[in-house]
Amino acid sequence: MTELEQLIGDKESTKMDHQKQTSLAVESRGLVKRYSEEVLAVDGVDLSIAANTIYALLGPNGAGKTTTISILTTLLEPSGGVAKIAGFDVVRQAGEVRKRIGVTFQDVVLDNDLTGRQVLEYHGQLYGQSKQERRARTAELLALVELEDAADRRCQTYSGGMKRRIELARALMTQPEVLFLDEPTLGLDPQTRGRIWDYIRTLKDQNGLTLVLTTHYMDEAEQLADRVGIIDHGKIVVEGTPRELIDQMGADTFRIVGQGDSGHFIEQVRALPFVQTVTTGDNVIQVGVDTGSRRLVAIVSTATDNGFAIEDLSVARPSLGDVFFNYTGRQLRD
Amino acid sequence: MSAALTLWHKHMRKSLVHPEEIIGLLLQPILWIVLFGVGMKSLMAPVMPSGSNLYITFMVPGIVALSALGGAVGGGSTWLMERVQGIVKEYLVAPIPRLSILLGNALSTVTKSLFQAIVIFIVGILMGMQVTTNPLGWLGGFLLVAGYGLGFAGIALAFASKTDSMGAYHSLIFLLNLPLLFLSNALYPLDVLPKWMQIGALLNPTSYVVDGMRQTLLVNGTALSGTSVLPLWLCFAVIAIFVCLGMWLAFSAFRSSVR
Repeated sequence: MTELEQLIGDKESTKMDHQKQTSLAVESRGLVKRYSEEVLAVDGVDLSIAANTIYALLGPNGAGKTTTISILTTLLEPSGGVAKIAGFDVVRQAGEVRKRIGVTFQDVVLDNDLTGRQVLEYHGQLYGQSKQERRARTAELLALVELEDAADRRCQTYSGGMKRRIELARALMTQPEVLFLDEPTLGLDPQTRGRIWDYIRTLKDQNGLTLVLTTHYMDEAEQLADRVGIIDHGKIVVEGTPRELIDQMGADTFRIVGQGDSGHFIEQVRALPFVQTVTTGDNVIQVGVDTGSRRLVAIVSTATDNGFAIEDLSVARPSLGDVFFNYTGRQLRD
Repeated sequence: MSAALTLWHKHMRKSLVHPEEIIGLLLQPILWIVLFGVGMKSLMAPVMPSGSNLYITFMVPGIVALSALGGAVGGGSTWLMERVQGIVKEYLVAPIPRLSILLGNALSTVTKSLFQAIVIFIVGILMGMQVTTNPLGWLGGFLLVAGYGLGFAGIALAFASKTDSMGAYHSLIFLLNLPLLFLSNALYPLDVLPKWMQIGALLNPTSYVVDGMRQTLLVNGTALSGTSVLPLWLCFAVIAIFVCLGMWLAFSAFRSSVR
C-alpha cells in the first residue's frame, strides 16, 4: 500500500461500496439556473460522471461552468432539474452531499492572516475531525502538496501556485469522495500547472477519487480528463473522451483565412470525398480531412478555382479547441 | 454549535495576528476617558447629581458602551471581509448548520467587546472610578454589555450581509454610531437635556445599558443617574429585546445573502 492509499484509509472500502450501488458519482438531469428574466446561466445540463474518473467541463468564460459547479456543490439552488452526488440529492440532501465533497473555488479563497497549517486545521475542525485526525491529515497533505517548509508562514506570503496547492490540500482534508476543482490552474505558470495535474492524476489513480474540474484551457482537458463535456451558453454541446471528440474532427485540420467569396469554396470543399468536417466563423474556415499533407494541394486549388484568395493556411492535428470551434463556431481563447 | 465555536476560535486567532488593530481599539476608549473625561470633569461637576468629582465614574459605563459599539462594527467588517473574499463559501460547502456561521461571528464579536470592556474598567479604576465589590453586580453589568454588544453585532452583521462595499458599510454604521452615543445618557445625565433629546435618549438602547451598568457596577450608581434613573428591570428588559431584534435582523439579512 502506498502512502497515498493510506491517506484514504479505512473509509475507502465503505465509500466504494456505496458508489458501486449508485455507480455514478455525479448525475444531473435537466439542470437549469435562471438568475433573472434575461440571464439563463445553465440551460438544461445533463451529466453522468462515473466514479473514479476525471471529468472536465470545458468552455469559455461565462459558459455556465462555475454556475453548474455551484449547484453541484450545494452553493446554489437550481431553478429546475435534479442533481445527485454519490446518490444524494443536492437540494433535499445537501448535508449528505456536503459531507462527501471537497471543493476548490475559481478565486483563491484563503484567510491571509492564517498559516497554511492553520487553514487545514480549522477546515478539519469545521468538519468535526478529532485533534489526532487533523494533525495526521495535515502532515500528510502538506507533504503531498510539498508545502511543509511554508506550513507555518501566513498565506499572505504564498505565491499563486502555493495558494492553489494549499487550497487543494484543504479540499482533500476531509477525505471527499468527489472533488470539485473550479479552474484549478487559472493564472498559474506552466511548471506549477504541470504539478497540479500530477496531483490530480495521483488522486484519481491511487485514491479512487472522482474529480470534476472546469477549465478553459484545452490542453488541460485533453491531458487530464477521462471525459470532457464542452459547455457553451449553459448547455453541454458535446461530450466524450478527448480521443473520441478529436477523432471525429478528422485526422488533420486545415485552418484557412482568406479574402473573397468563401461561399462557393466552402460548398465545393464540403463535397470533396476526403473532407470530414467544415466549420466557419470568426473569419476562419476550418476543414477536417483524413491526411493533411496529401490533401493540401486539392484544398488550395479548390480555393483558387472559386475565386477565394487564401492568405493564411495551417494544418495541424486537431485539438479540443477545434472540437469546440466545430460545435460553437467560436474560438476558445484563454 | 461546535462549528460556531470553531469559527469563533478562528476569528479570535485572526485578530491576534494584528496587534496594532487591538491596540488601536483599546487606545481609543482610553483616550476618551483620559482626555474627554478629565477635560469635562470640571464642566460637568455642577450637573453631577452629588455635585462632586464623580464624572469619570459617571462616564466610564458610557465609554464601555461606545467600545462595545466599536467591537460590533469590527465584527461586522470581519464578516463582510469574509463575504467579499469568498471565504464564506468554504463554510457554505461544509456540512454545518447555516446558523452556526452567524453565531460564530456574533460570538467572536461579543468576546472582543467584553474584553475591551474589562480593559476600560481597569483604566477607569486606575483613574479613580469607584466600583462595587458585589460579584452579582459585576455579573449583571457584564450581561448587559454582552447583550448590548450582541444586539448591535446583529445590526452590524445585517448591514454587512446586505452590502458588498466596505466603504458603504462603514459610512452607514458610523451614521448610526453618533446618535447612539450622543443621544443617550452616556456622557451627561438625562435631566440636563432638552425634552426632545430626552425622548430620543429614552428610545435608545444605549441609555438602558449605560444606566443598568451604573446601577449594577458602581458604588452609588443609582444616585449618579439622578432623578431620571431608569428602573433596573427595564434596563434588562430593553437589552433583552434589543438582543432579539438585532439577532433577528442579522438572521433575516444573512438568510437572504446565503443559501
